[in-house]
Amino acid sequence: MSSEALKKRKGKVIRTEGGTPEVKRGRGEGDPQELELERRDPEQDYQQYKQTCESLTTLMGEIQELKAGGAKEGSTDLEKRRLQSCIHIMNLKKLNRLAHIRLKKGRDQTHDAKQKVDVLHLQLQNLLYEVMHLQKEISKCLEFKSKHEEIDLVSEAEFYKEAPEEISRPLLTKEGPHQLTLARLDWELEQRKRLAEKYRESQTMKEKIQKSIEVKKEHLSSLQPGLNAIMQASLPVQQYLSMPFEQTQKQTEVARHLPPALYVLFVQAKAYGHACDKSLSVSISGDVDEAKALSKPPEDSQDDESDSDAEEEQEKTKRRRPTTGCQLDDKRREMLKRHPLSLCLDLKCKDGSVLHLYFYHLINLNILTVKTKVSPGTDLSTAVSAGELLNSETLLNCLYSNDQGQETPNPANRYQFDKVGIVTFADYVKELGHPYVWVQDLGGLHFPGEAPQGVRVGSALSASHMEATMKLLRGRVQSRLALHKQFTSLEHSIVPISSESQHLFPAKVISRLARWTTIAHQDYMDLAFTRHVSSAGLAKETDLFFMAVVERGTARLQAAVVLNPRYPEVSPLFSLSLSWKGEHSGSTDDNLRAMESEVNVFKSELQGPRPGHQLLTNQLARLCVCLDVYLETDGDDNSVEGPREFPREKMCLRTVRGPNRLKPFKYNHPQGFFSHR
Amino acid sequence: MGLIELLHMSVFSQSFSPCGKFLAAGNNYGEIALFSLSAALGPDANELSQKPILAFAAHDGPVFSLLSTDAHLLSAGNGEISAWSWAELIKKNVKAAWTRRPNYKSSLEIPEINAMAINPADNSLAVGGGDNNVHIMDLENGVFKSVLQGHTDYIHCLSVRERAAEVLSGGEDGAVRIWDTRTSQCVHCVEVYKYETCARPQHGRWISCLTTDSDWMLCGGGPSLSLWHLRSMSPTSVFPLSGCQRQATFYQDMILTVGEGQCVSHCQMGGEVKAQIPCTPHSINTLAINTNSTEHRVLTVGGSSDHIDVFTNLSYRAFSLRF
Repeated sequence: MSSEALKKRKGKVIRTEGGTPEVKRGRGEGDPQELELERRDPEQDYQQYKQTCESLTTLMGEIQELKAGGAKEGSTDLEKRRLQSCIHIMNLKKLNRLAHIRLKKGRDQTHDAKQKVDVLHLQLQNLLYEVMHLQKEISKCLEFKSKHEEIDLVSEAEFYKEAPEEISRPLLTKEGPHQLTLARLDWELEQRKRLAEKYRESQTMKEKIQKSIEVKKEHLSSLQPGLNAIMQASLPVQQYLSMPFEQTQKQTEVARHLPPALYVLFVQAKAYGHACDKSLSVSISGDVDEAKALSKPPEDSQDDESDSDAEEEQEKTKRRRPTTGCQLDDKRREMLKRHPLSLCLDLKCKDGSVLHLYFYHLINLNILTVKTKVSPGTDLSTAVSAGELLNSETLLNCLYSNDQGQETPNPANRYQFDKVGIVTFADYVKELGHPYVWVQDLGGLHFPGEAPQGVRVGSALSASHMEATMKLLRGRVQSRLALHKQFTSLEHSIVPISSESQHLFPAKVISRLARWTTIAHQDYMDLAFTRHVSSAGLAKETDLFFMAVVERGTARLQAAVVLNPRYPEVSPLFSLSLSWKGEHSGSTDDNLRAMESEVNVFKSELQGPRPGHQLLTNQLARLCVCLDVYLETDGDDNSVEGPREFPREKMCLRTVRGPNRLKPFKYNHPQGFFSHR
Repeated sequence: MGLIELLHMSVFSQSFSPCGKFLAAGNNYGEIALFSLSAALGPDANELSQKPILAFAAHDGPVFSLLSTDAHLLSAGNGEISAWSWAELIKKNVKAAWTRRPNYKSSLEIPEINAMAINPADNSLAVGGGDNNVHIMDLENGVFKSVLQGHTDYIHCLSVRERAAEVLSGGEDGAVRIWDTRTSQCVHCVEVYKYETCARPQHGRWISCLTTDSDWMLCGGGPSLSLWHLRSMSPTSVFPLSGCQRQATFYQDMILTVGEGQCVSHCQMGGEVKAQIPCTPHSINTLAINTNSTEHRVLTVGGSSDHIDVFTNLSYRAFSLRF
């Protein structure tokens, strides 16, 4: 029982040991204790505590051993040990108390320190705020815009060079940019003052000069009547000496009223005529007064017109609706209005024929148009098929390739037309003339086209085209006149061959040209044997089309001819159809095809003397020769039944050759035989 | 080349390159054009790939015959044969490897060469043309070793029977002559126009196409196209084609033939005309099948046009190559 009780106590002791901090906390503190505390080392206290606990444990163990060994309660050993234990416990208590005091002290210290930190932090906040405010102020100052920045000052180097010492004050300004700016501003002010002064001076000077001009003008105008009188008096002398000063002067006077494009053309044509081509003459026709009226107040009148137009339109629509068509007509007429003055170029050829070109300017469309007329030098007999040749409508077609003069070259016109309901310019070509591109070029008008090229305008453009165009025009007229002459004899079934071309053909040609007629484009397209030409795009509407018939005996060769307006530069193209022992054409008979290429492809031999005006007749003559060869070499020699229709007269080395058994169509001149290509 | 020249162009001869990717064609102006079949048949073929990759003037006269050996393209012009290396041509280098002229008796006109054929047995080239003779040239050294004389008019076409060591020639005189290459003697002469079944006096008697295949021979021209059995020397079937035929060939179990008329005719051995496939030229001079390459196996046809029709399938024209 007693041992159990001891155990209980022991447990209590242990409990009290564990609970010591609570006990300690409850205890108050005194000054002496604090003093003691300062003297003691916490580490030492800890060691002491450990030792005390250890010895207490050993004491307890010994007590238990003694009690187990049967020692009696109250034996000396036991008592002694209990006493020691009590001392140890006292010791522990003290240590506990000291620990508590230490803790409290630590807490107080921490609190104090925290207070101090708070104060400092508040101070810091204030300072930061102040800094921010100051920075804001600084940036505000920095961003300040002064008025002087907008003033464009002379550069610094210039300033130092030009400004006088007292303004620039280099000693001061070199150091501070502020002073520098101030000085520069001073200088600016000074300069401006000076300029204002100068301006005033100039003004007075100008007035003075103006006054003197007035005086001089008066003097000059008083001279005019006297000069006029002299001019008048000198007229008979001029006429007598045949010096056309007056006339050219008048012409230039009139030329001043020409629209710019026609003026460029006038000047360039005149210059070209003087320099290179004496046979070119230029004249101006039309109503000068009207032109003057037109050129004086151009803008006002236009405005008025449009205004009145608008008013009229309103009135008209109000009153009579059905007349809008009529009014549209008026508008169209206005749109297509020609300048009252026109330019006439006369180009004389060697044989005395003259090409008249009339140039017009369409004011509102800003394009030039041309009308043509040919007055032949010699009297031309009327050939029916030649009717188209000198037709003024088609004469100058395709002077440059693809320049048909049907559509306006100014892209802006498209929109103007849409406004007044004009579908195409081609409808008005007959009345107004053709707006060929080369005409615009001669007038110095350039419109951006599909093909970009070096853009020149005005006189440079006109000058660059003048010579080539004049040569082309002359060539065109000559070739047409030559064709005209040739057609006359062709219609009489004679193929004219000049002496230069005589060697191209054998002396005896039996096939004869039977007919030469002109045919329409549509008729040509309808022919079966020309299909390959039309599908290759070589028969255009601008071309001229003819039908030649060559006959020999029962054989009849039809040749459809395409004549390009640019003949002889572009050679005529023949397509053949032969009716003899059935119908043959170039596509079904290789020999006819070979004949076609003989005239179409190997044409360079047929050109004759330059520029090749005899090409067409030579081609026709060769066609006759080829037909002779074709007919005479036909059929196998041995299979002759009865007399042949066409006895062989031409000398041939071989009658057939090659896989497609071609006949010998090539004539060899001095030897006079036929061979293959 | 101008539009008018193109309009009057005729294609006379074709030959495929040994690799089968290129086609050479000769025209009446003496030009040879090289077309790339792989480009024209490729998936991204356009207008431009149907134009020649190379065109050059090869001869003065028309190029009536073209032939390919393993390395060279042989072309025949007016009285001369030129060889062009395929490898160089493909690199667009135009320079003749060699040019040879058969020994002609002097004449006012240089005779043309209408046909060439290679005899692989002794690596020789048979050349026939305007001087009525067949010249045999050794391809090893370029020497003309023999002349086969017998025709009375110019020679249109040649064919080689390799197994029998025979060369056949057809001419303007209407005879098909069979020559023994070893003895250079004429062993047979068939005058086709004398056989009633074939004769067409309204056209004439010339033989302009000739092909052989083992014991069979095709010939035609003025007379109707007919199939002959060579061992019995008799016509077995005559084809009812209206125009004069210029080239015929055996293809699988069919006969393809072209000539006057705007079509390629498909015939059966028995003598029936199975189909006539329309094409561009009005009359056709040449027909060729590319057997050198399986992926570019096409039939090409040229004639009196600057177009060469290409048939990827025998039954319709796929597109045209253009000069």
